Amino acid sequence: MKIAQRLWITLLITLLTCSATVTRAADLATVLTEVKAVAGQTDTLYSHFTQEKHLDIMAETLLSQGLFAYRKPDHLRWELLTPIASGFVLRGQQGERWNGLSRELERFSVDRDPLMGMIAQQLLAWARVDLDWLQQRYVMELVSEQPLQLKLTPRDAGEAGFIDHLEIFFAADRRYVEQVVLVEKSGDSTRLRFTDVKVNGSLPDDIFAAPGF
Amino acid sequence: MKLFQTCYEKLARRRGRLLLPVLLLLGLALAWLPQLRIGDSIVAMLPDGNSQVARDFGLLQKTPFSRKLVIQLQAAKTVSTADLVAATDQLGQRLPAELFTHLQSGPGDMGKLALLNDLGKYLAVLATKQDLQTIAERLTPEQVDRQMAENLGKLLQPQGVALKEQIRRDPLNLTPLALQKLLYLNPLPGVRIEQGHFISADRRSSLILADTPVLMTDAAGARRLVDAFQQAAAQLPAGISASLLSGHPYTLANTEIIKADMGRVLLVSGIGLLALFLIFLRRRQALSVFLLPFASMLLALVVTSWWYPQLSGITVGFGAVLLGITIDYGLHVYFALCRSNDGRGARLQAVARPLLFGGLTTLVAFAVLLRSELPGQRQLAVFAVTGILVALLLALFVLPQLVGAAVTRPELRKGYRRPLFERHPKLRWTVLGVWLASMIFCAVGAQQLRINGELRRLSYVPPALAQAEQQLAAHWGNMRGRAMIFAAGADLQRALQRNEEVWQRLGRHQLQDQVVSLAPLYPPLALQQQRQLHWHNFWAEKQPVADELLVQAGAKYGFTANAFAPFDQFLNTDPGPLDLAVLQSWGLGDLLGNFIFQDGSEFQVLTLLPDRPELIAVLDGEFADLSGVTLVSQSHFGRQLSRAIAGDFSSFIATAGIVVLILLIVLFRKLADVLLAVLPVLSGLLFMFGWMGWLGVEMNLFNVVASILIIGLGVDYGIFMTCHSRQPQDLGSGQAILVSGLTTLVGFGALVVARHPALYSIGITVLLGICAAVPTAVLVIPAFRPKRW
Repeated sequence: MKIAQRLWITLLITLLTCSATVTRAADLATVLTEVKAVAGQTDTLYSHFTQEKHLDIMAETLLSQGLFAYRKPDHLRWELLTPIASGFVLRGQQGERWNGLSRELERFSVDRDPLMGMIAQQLLAWARVDLDWLQQRYVMELVSEQPLQLKLTPRDAGEAGFIDHLEIFFAADRRYVEQVVLVEKSGDSTRLRFTDVKVNGSLPDDIFAAPGF
Repeated sequence: MKLFQTCYEKLARRRGRLLLPVLLLLGLALAWLPQLRIGDSIVAMLPDGNSQVARDFGLLQKTPFSRKLVIQLQAAKTVSTADLVAATDQLGQRLPAELFTHLQSGPGDMGKLALLNDLGKYLAVLATKQDLQTIAERLTPEQVDRQMAENLGKLLQPQGVALKEQIRRDPLNLTPLALQKLLYLNPLPGVRIEQGHFISADRRSSLILADTPVLMTDAAGARRLVDAFQQAAAQLPAGISASLLSGHPYTLANTEIIKADMGRVLLVSGIGLLALFLIFLRRRQALSVFLLPFASMLLALVVTSWWYPQLSGITVGFGAVLLGITIDYGLHVYFALCRSNDGRGARLQAVARPLLFGGLTTLVAFAVLLRSELPGQRQLAVFAVTGILVALLLALFVLPQLVGAAVTRPELRKGYRRPLFERHPKLRWTVLGVWLASMIFCAVGAQQLRINGELRRLSYVPPALAQAEQQLAAHWGNMRGRAMIFAAGADLQRALQRNEEVWQRLGRHQLQDQVVSLAPLYPPLALQQQRQLHWHNFWAEKQPVADELLVQAGAKYGFTANAFAPFDQFLNTDPGPLDLAVLQSWGLGDLLGNFIFQDGSEFQVLTLLPDRPELIAVLDGEFADLSGVTLVSQSHFGRQLSRAIAGDFSSFIATAGIVVLILLIVLFRKLADVLLAVLPVLSGLLFMFGWMGWLGVEMNLFNVVASILIIGLGVDYGIFMTCHSRQPQDLGSGQAILVSGLTTLVGFGALVVARHPALYSIGITVLLGICAAVPTAVLVIPAFRPKRW
């Protein structure tokens, strides 16, 4: 009797789990469709951000602040204001990066600098909320629907070698990403919080130009 | 002994017995013709044996770069780089794989190249003493502090996630020292890599490099290759065009232009010869005179093919032209016999002496070529000597039986026979004055004559190809015109050892930044071991200092004390030898194939450098004592070839001059006669050299051989006119020389209408030389010695 009861309970749990998974998958597809529709209307983004890095090799948490700008289709600015003024701008395939400490400005091309190419591709995908591209590279899980939170696990073996997963938090209106948490295999993590986000504001060309040294 | 007179008279009674064997012989020769193997390589006109030029040419032929097909795509300003890249891929896919192999339009996805990640690990075997010095200079508190700040900056950037482990392993950023070695391996100076493709700096041009099984000298194969390319290129989108650069389009263009030229030249010379026939000969029997060169050429071809199993097309073509000289023998016999039906045997006997000596001098002139360093010229010598012998035999024994009876026109004959200077005595001094002034003028011009051995000058370059070459050089640097240094070795390691020696010597002249070399990335194993030892010794001393500096500076920027523990491991790990397998695993196999190749049992490692004459001159001396190392450049090769041509030519002129002089002394036994006899040849050569100097026409391989024609004909003219002045009979020598000169002019001088540089140069040489030799023979010799009756 006990055996029959246990089997029954096991079957019930299995059915419930499967049902929950199917519901989640269906929810994810619906949610992503909604996000695509909303985020597809984003032409420009401008925001400040704070970055917290918890790295094993650093004695303390690394705190930094900066600003981020995006203009459709392929213009980016990523700039740290503190503790070291540094960053890069990208205009299509070409860009410049700088380091305020060494006062060095360097041109780069995403074709010749594969790492910068990968970073630019990632940032552009997030800014555009290019879910098709992201789904090709990551396995997505819906963690929470309101506020929308996704968990992404890399599909690419190379990326999976050092990144365990990403957690993405969307703004309430789902038009942009509000928070990103990147968890490395080593346990190190980085948290990015975007604040004062302006969507579809006017962004002049000099936003996407490197500072003069 | 009146050999020719006796033979003529005896054979005249049994003409059939003579003509039948001759016709049989010619028939057999004709039947032999299909067995001839004729090659069309320019190699026959380059020195062979152990000469430096021959060795250099052999090396040039074997380099992977010389066989590469270069396809350049050109985009209009309105076309985006992405569209250009897409068109490059489309074109690559449309090129037939059996004709275009190993297509390479770029290094591919750089991100996937293991090389960029792994090269730094081999720093221990790649770092030079200078690199160690650079590292030592970085081991100061200020430099390490600065580097640490940069490391922190990188960690804070988005790419920090990927760079963290690299920063831990290499906190002093030593890896770029290894990556710099790649900079010396870029054969495309103006290249950018975009979307995995070669893109020019102005982003308007892309490249496809390819190999082909089609030989560069194969005209039919070149036609297929060019047609297939044009068909694929025609499908490119609007605003994008493509051009193919390799030896093949040149081969094709030259073959086609020669065909077109020959058509035009044959038309001009055919009309000219017909006109001469109608003006001067006007008899059916005279046709036999024109058949004589063809019969001589046919028999000469057969005999030469017994000697040389494969004949050079250039030799055959040129030899055939040169054998046109033999028509003169027929003309002399014809005009001598046509004067009168009386004493024809005696006339033949009289003309036989200058004919034999003329033939003998020409034969000797050609025979001198047997000593030439150029195999084609040696073949030519055999061909011409045989042809001249056959022509002399036919002219003296067969032709007299075919000439037919004389047409006697006493009034005309009288007019001819009355010498010109007897009719116009003052004209004699005018002729001598004009001749002397012209010779002085030409002697001045001859000082400016230059010899050019550059092979490209002998090729026809269509304007479209020249433009494509210019565009290629403008966008990508002069990738097709670079000098090469070959480092040879019985095995790869020995070749690499020599290549390293070359690299070091280039360093002495501060030239390392201008060359493309494998040496920095792929040093020989012995050197790698030596460097590894230096590396360990260096770090045995410096590591404690470096560790302390890293801990101090690291603490300042918030790094933990053991943040850079992997650095010590990096310094003390043996990466193993950097060999071909490692380099190939990094995707550098195709690139290495351009720099390392096997030449028989030897390995050759290539270094490319700018082909600047002043640079080559310096390096030529620098590498002279380095065995197994050969410097080859187009300009250098051209100079060597020029020297070989000049040497050959001087030796030829000197030997031929001496032998001809001896023959003339034997013939005439009087200094005055000998001097008179050499006047046409000297005048012809001086006029030719002088005007070539004034016109800026350079002497080349083909001019040298064409000069033989001038020498052969000029000496003949001199002998005939001098003999004519000494003999009582009127042998019609002046008329024969005039007609033969005119036939030569319309036959070979017509080549000046050719567009192909080699044909044109033959034409201009013959035109100038004959233009002076004929008037000198028919006017100047009689002016020096008027004929008295």
